Parts: sequence; structure tokens; C-alpha cells
Amino acid sequence: MGMIRNDEQDEHIEQLWYMKEQKVASLDYLKKALKRSFNPKIVDELCACGLVVLGAEASTIKLTAEGEARARQLIRAHRLAERLIADVLGGGDLERIACEFEHTVSLELVNGICTLLGHPKECPHGMPIPEGECCKLANKSELSFIIPLLDLKLGESARIAYINCRNDQQIHKLEGLCIRPGVVIKLHQNYPTYVIECEGSSIALDKGVVSNISVWKNLQGAEEAAVAKAADKAENAGALKKFFDFLSKKR
Amino acid sequence: MAISPAESQQSRPIEGPGIAGASSGTKVKKVALIGLPNTGKTQIFNNLTGEYSIVANYPGTTIEMRRSPITIKGQRYEIIDTPGLHCLYIHSEEEIAVRDMILSEAPDVIVQCIDASQHKQSLLLTAELLELETPMVLVLNAMDEMARKGIWVDSADLEKTLGIPVVESVALRGLGKEELKAAIGKAKRSTLDIKYGFKIENSINELTSALPFDMEFKHKIATLLLQSDPFLEKSLERKFGRERLVQVRMLLTNIRHQVQGNLRQIINDRRSQWADGVSDAVVKKQKAVYKGISHHITQASRQPLFGIPIFLFLMAFVYLAVVYVSGALDKLINFIAVEPVTRLITSFSLPLFWNDLLIGNHGILTLGFFNAICTVLPILSVFFFIFGCFEDSGYITNFTVLTKNVFEKIGIPGNAITSLVLGFGCKTMATLSTRGLTIRKEKYIAVFLIAFAIPCSAQLGISMAILARVGLSAFLIVFAVLVLCEVGAGLLLNTIIKGKEESWFIQVIPPLRFPSLRAVSRKTYHRIVDFLKEALPIFLLSAVGLFFFEKTGLLAMTKRAMTPMIVNWMGLPQDILDVFLLALARREAAAGLILKMVDSGSLTYIQSIIAVVVTTISFPCVANVIAIGREMGWKTAVMMTTLIFVSSFLLVGVLRWVLVLFVGS
Repeated sequence: MGMIRNDEQDEHIEQLWYMKEQKVASLDYLKKALKRSFNPKIVDELCACGLVVLGAEASTIKLTAEGEARARQLIRAHRLAERLIADVLGGGDLERIACEFEHTVSLELVNGICTLLGHPKECPHGMPIPEGECCKLANKSELSFIIPLLDLKLGESARIAYINCRNDQQIHKLEGLCIRPGVVIKLHQNYPTYVIECEGSSIALDKGVVSNISVWKNLQGAEEAAVAKAADKAENAGALKKFFDFLSKKR
Repeated sequence: MAISPAESQQSRPIEGPGIAGASSGTKVKKVALIGLPNTGKTQIFNNLTGEYSIVANYPGTTIEMRRSPITIKGQRYEIIDTPGLHCLYIHSEEEIAVRDMILSEAPDVIVQCIDASQHKQSLLLTAELLELETPMVLVLNAMDEMARKGIWVDSADLEKTLGIPVVESVALRGLGKEELKAAIGKAKRSTLDIKYGFKIENSINELTSALPFDMEFKHKIATLLLQSDPFLEKSLERKFGRERLVQVRMLLTNIRHQVQGNLRQIINDRRSQWADGVSDAVVKKQKAVYKGISHHITQASRQPLFGIPIFLFLMAFVYLAVVYVSGALDKLINFIAVEPVTRLITSFSLPLFWNDLLIGNHGILTLGFFNAICTVLPILSVFFFIFGCFEDSGYITNFTVLTKNVFEKIGIPGNAITSLVLGFGCKTMATLSTRGLTIRKEKYIAVFLIAFAIPCSAQLGISMAILARVGLSAFLIVFAVLVLCEVGAGLLLNTIIKGKEESWFIQVIPPLRFPSLRAVSRKTYHRIVDFLKEALPIFLLSAVGLFFFEKTGLLAMTKRAMTPMIVNWMGLPQDILDVFLLALARREAAAGLILKMVDSGSLTYIQSIIAVVVTTISFPCVANVIAIGREMGWKTAVMMTTLIFVSSFLLVGVLRWVLVLFVGS
């Protein structure tokens, strides 16, 4: 399926995905949620393309399998972009950039970013990021720049990329111990409990806490090789290259 | 930071001419020792004041604040030792007391203790303390360990950067004490200013001007409000009333609406950047560092392959030391004190009543003084000494890492392990140490398990001595039973109590140190003195009480009445009631009596086991119940105590029949 840019359609489809997540299917709800952006004509168009189906007396509305696939890609791009901006690039106007991003990137680039970020499972707001082909095929791709701390080898050091945690107390405690993005940690022990060294102190963490932490693969050479490889494969070699340059500057 | 330009031009020493007029020299100035957990605050407190509070090498040793007066160059100070604090933005009840103290008492000087080898974590706290605009001193403690780690801090440079006195210290060895005293007199407000960016600083200033005029630390409080501190708004409301904070609340809502992004995160990031900058400027790190043998021992002690043998070795050592060393001490004291005194009193041929009151079976000397000095004290001294070594070495936390998985499988949360281990020292302190547990369910389970089947140092030592006389198998049976009780209770509580919160485990591991014999001896001495002060009068009183109980015939009556319970259900001799009555007063006193009964052959193998188990789990001591009340509320305390009491008697009866079945009568 080609990526024909149609922002208005996309907006409706995305909203329907959110509704699916919340398990609602009423057309009224869609109207309310989209407010002024709601357009009956677009709904008709979507019906005609076979992306949505209307229920009895047109009171409910639902994505078809094809519509769902399209929404999935959009949401995936949106939430991956959020992840990228919030945690890796150090914040900014999440919503606006993510919205722009989702309509413009190709499937390849989305998968590329997903791989580089180590196939994150949730966006910064804690919403699930739909799995892409790349997540299913190779969960731990050699291309990943960011890997879960769980996968770090014993005795290796790595820089923390992001911490995926919604428990305020936990985040707070980690911050107090200097465990935060940008800090280099060393994995000392992974059984029976994880022990890391961070800024001079040894800290024991359980698997639950460790699984929230993602780290940069620390080898400069491997990084460059991965860039070259990814650039070879991807359609948007130029865009990808630019992205990497940006990343390395940011870091 | 809200230091006005005029003020920030000159940092002001708090002592000396021209400050606050004539009151200087007469007013007692408060000096608060603040710092991350396990940075040596209490050791520094002890060094400064010459007093003694228990120090140990694990985070959270100090639970209560402690104050003591000292005089430096004619100025009187009150030194305040505090529990560990990570930052002023509070997220758990554990740390709130310290912040409340700072905000409400506004100490004249803050001395921040920093473990020099973990300076970065401490600098985050420094950043916040500086914002209080209170004169400060920084103590770089554990300089020796830092040197061993190949880290070098330029303290003179740090002093210049922060604009406050910085003192180097090895508190454990008493180094840096005089320098600190001199520095307290020269404490200064820092001239430093951490920039949060225009938007945030503007918001802080707006909030500051909206806060009640009579509030202290307005600027800092405004920052904390901006960070959405969960406890602060409520406590301010309590203090200043709802109406006076309406404007502040409106302002806050506005600001949160206007400024995008997570304010707490932005503020924290700025502080982290600042700490990184300071650290990069004043700290040098060696690349090649020989980590030494203690590093390898630490690592080995928390991995199953070596950790389990190390643990078993340590336990065997404790057992042998308690049994043999205290046995020898016991004999010695008996020989040089008890026997001569008894002979002397017998030689007076006093009337029977007086003879009995002094050295009869329930005599003041026999059951009170000799019991305490001769039977209990040697065992306790040896145990306190060994336990002190454990505490100071930092082994307990490594043990937590080693055993966490196993404990969690049997229903004991990993976060509670340290508290449970501390229960072997003193159950009351262990109960208070659960304050660090943030998850209610875990805290409940920990408090119950500490009160239930963990023998405290006094009981444990004496139980070991009793069981050593009956045989190693008895020792193993009793401890297997106690472990089963804890596991059973853990599993049961885990299924009964519903917990919504997800459990997580983050624990700083202190560096393993070779305990200093001087420090451990001092700690043991203080614990023994405390024990004697507290327990000896009770030993004597309960002996007198029991004596009169016997003489009036009430004891015999009670014994007859309790026969079904004691003889038929538990299979113990009637005379064990003496033990139970003493246990109500002090459990060591009871255990001492069991020891005598074993020695005189009036308890069989099974009876000895049962007697030890029942005195260990039957009821928590009064101090422990009070601690439970303070931590969990009185209703829970009463409920737990009753539950433990009833279940212990049921369990003991069952145990008896099991033993009869397997061991034979």
C-alpha cells in the first residue's frame, strides 16, 4: 500500500484506533473527539475505500482489517517519534513534531527508527506502540543502537538511553542515585539480582526495574557500520544518514 | 536561586562581629547534619559531641533524630543528627521528617556529609540545600576509601566553586573533627546560582511573591511546589490554612498550563547538569585502579557459588563463638563471683525467708542479678560483638542481594530482608527501620515477620547456648521450625493481603569494610551498658515478684489452673510457668531460667526444644509492640500481638506431637 498523504483521513483513522484501544465504537464519540475536524464526507470516503464500516443505523463505526493496518502504521510512527524526541533527542514539542512526522515518513524509515531504538514497547505517555514487521522478525537486531539493559553482557559498560517507567517513586529513587539518561553504568552481576555500578556506587536492582532501562550500545565502530548498513538498505538513505548525523550531534 | 544581588556579592560568615548584633554568643545555634544514607552523619555526630549513637555500615542506621549541645570557641551549638535524605523533593514518608525539621526549625548551619566516593549523588542534594540559603559546610567523608578507588577531589577548588567551607574527613578514624569544628564557625551562604532558564525562574519568583509573607524558605518552597511535591501542599495547608494558599494554587495551575513539559524533570535535569559540571571540574579519576581483595570478596559474597558457603561459614562461626566463648565467660564469672557470694551468704546462715529471698530458686540474686550478669551477659556480649562486626562490614546488604530471589519465592519481599536481618539484633529497631519500605503490603509483612519468629540478639544468643547443651540436632530442629513459621506466615500474608502497588527493588550496596575492632568494641560496650540499664532492674523486680508470688501460694494455684494448657497441650513441666511469667517482663530473663532448668536436668530433649520455641515466638516484647504501634497504628499492633500469641500456642502444641511422633518421647 502506498503512502498517499491525506492528513484529514489519517486523523479520522487515528482517532478510530484510539477508540479501539478504549473499546468504544460510537459515531457520536468520534464526532465529539474530533470536534471541528470531524467531516462526514471523509467518513463516506473511508467507507468507500473499505477502510471503515458503519454499524446498524450508522450509530457505530469501526475500522476494517485494512483500515486497522493503516492506522497501525500511523500510530506506530507517531509513538515512535514521541519516543525518539522525548528520550533520545532530549524533549521538545512532542505532539506537534510527532504529528508532522507520522504523515511524512516511509514504512522503511519507521522500521529503521524502531530498530535503532531497540523496538520500544511504549510511547512516553505509556501507550503501547504497535509492533511492526521489524519487531517480529528480529527482536534483537544487530542494527539496534539501543538495547535493553537486560541484554548487556556481564562486566560491560553502557550509556543509559532512556528509562521507561511510569512509577514516580521509582523514577525518583533512580534519579537520586544518578541512574538517568546519559549516565554510564557497568553491569556487575545479573543473578540472583542485578547489580550495576553507577557513579561510584554499587546498586542492586530487580529484574522489573532493570527491564525499564535501555542503554546505548557503546561501541563507536559498530555504530558507524550499522549506519552504513542501514543506509544501504533503506530507501531513504539520505534521510536516514541525516538522522544519524543529528543523533550523533545530539549525543 | 533567590539570592538578591546585594546579598550574593558578599557571603556572610555566621559568626564574628557585626552579624545579628549582640545575640551572637548567647543564642544556641542549631547545626543540622544532613546527607544521603550511609554517609557517616552519625559517626561525625559522635565525633563532634563525644556522645555515642549506634553507627553501622548500611543505609538507614539512624531512624530518629538526635540532638546534643557542644560549645566551639564560646559559641553554643546544638548538633542535630538526622536520618538519610536523598533530596528535598520528597517521595516517601521515610524522608519527610528530615525535611520538616529543616523547614520548621530553620537550622542556623547545615553540615552536609558526603561520601567522597559517591560525590555525584551527593552534589544533587547539595544543589538543593544551597537553595535554602542557609550557611553551609560540606564534609567530604571516607576520603580513604575514595583514594583507594582512585578518585581525587580537589577540596580547595570545590570550596571555591561552591563558596562554602569544605572539610576533608575520615570520620571512622576521627580525622577532620577539629577542622569541621572550625568550619562550622565559618559557615557561609553560597553565592552560587543554578540557572533553570527564564521561564522557570520567572515562575518561581511569581510563586515566591504569592506565598504567605511569614513563611520561611519561600523561594525553595516555591521551587518544590513547581515540582509538584506530593506532601508539601498538604502540610502547607495545615500550617497556613486553605484560604491563604488559594492564590498560590491558582498561579500553579496557570504555570503548569503555560510551561510545557515536565517541570520536575526539567529542574532535575538542570541540577544534574550542574552536578556534572562541578564534578568534572574538581574530581579527577585514575584509569588504572587496583580494586583490592575486599572488592572480590564483596562480589563473591553475593553470588550463589561462593556466597552460600561464605554465609554458612559465617553462621557456623557465630554458633561456635556464642557457645564456646560465652560458655567460657560464664564459667569464669561463676568461679570468681557467683560461687564465692553464694558461699558467703550460706555461711551467714540467715533465716530461711531471707536466704530464699537472696539465693533461693526465685531469689533476687539467683534469678535476678546472677541470671543477668552470669548467664545472659556473657552470651549477649559475644553476640553483640559479632553482630556489630556484621553491621560494620556492610555484609548485610550483600546478603540481601544473594538471597532476594529465595526470600521472594517464599513470600518475603526483597526490600524487607535488611530489616529482617536487623531483627536478629533488636526487633524494635528492625521494626522502626521498615519506615523505608514504601509499599504498604511489604511493610505490613515485614513488621509481622520481625515480631513473629525472629529471635532477637538476646534470645538468639541464649537459645544457642541452651540448645548447644541439648545437642546440635536440637539447634537445627528449632531453627528449622522458626524458618518454617516465617515462611508459612510470609506465604499466608501474601495471599491474604491485597496489594495494588507493584513491588520494586532498588538498593544501594555499601562497600565492604573490614570492621574496626575499636569501633565494634565501643558499640558492643554501649549496647551492653544500655542492656544493663534497661534490663537489670526488670530482672531484679521480676525475681522479687515471682518470689512473693511463690511465697503467697498464688504461683502453685496458677500452675494447677494452667496444667491443661502447659502439661497436656504443650507437654512441658508445670514449673515452666515461672519461665512464662518472666518472659512477660523480659525474654532474656526467661531464657536464662530455661538454661538453668536444662542444666539441672528438669527438661527433656523435646521439652527444651518446645520451651525455646515458645519463648521465641509467643509474644513480642513491649518495646517491639510500641514500635509496631508507631509504625502501623495501635489497632494493627494489638491485632498482630494477639495473632502471634494465639498462633504460637497452637503451633507449639502441634510441634510437640510432631516431635513425639518422629523423635519419640
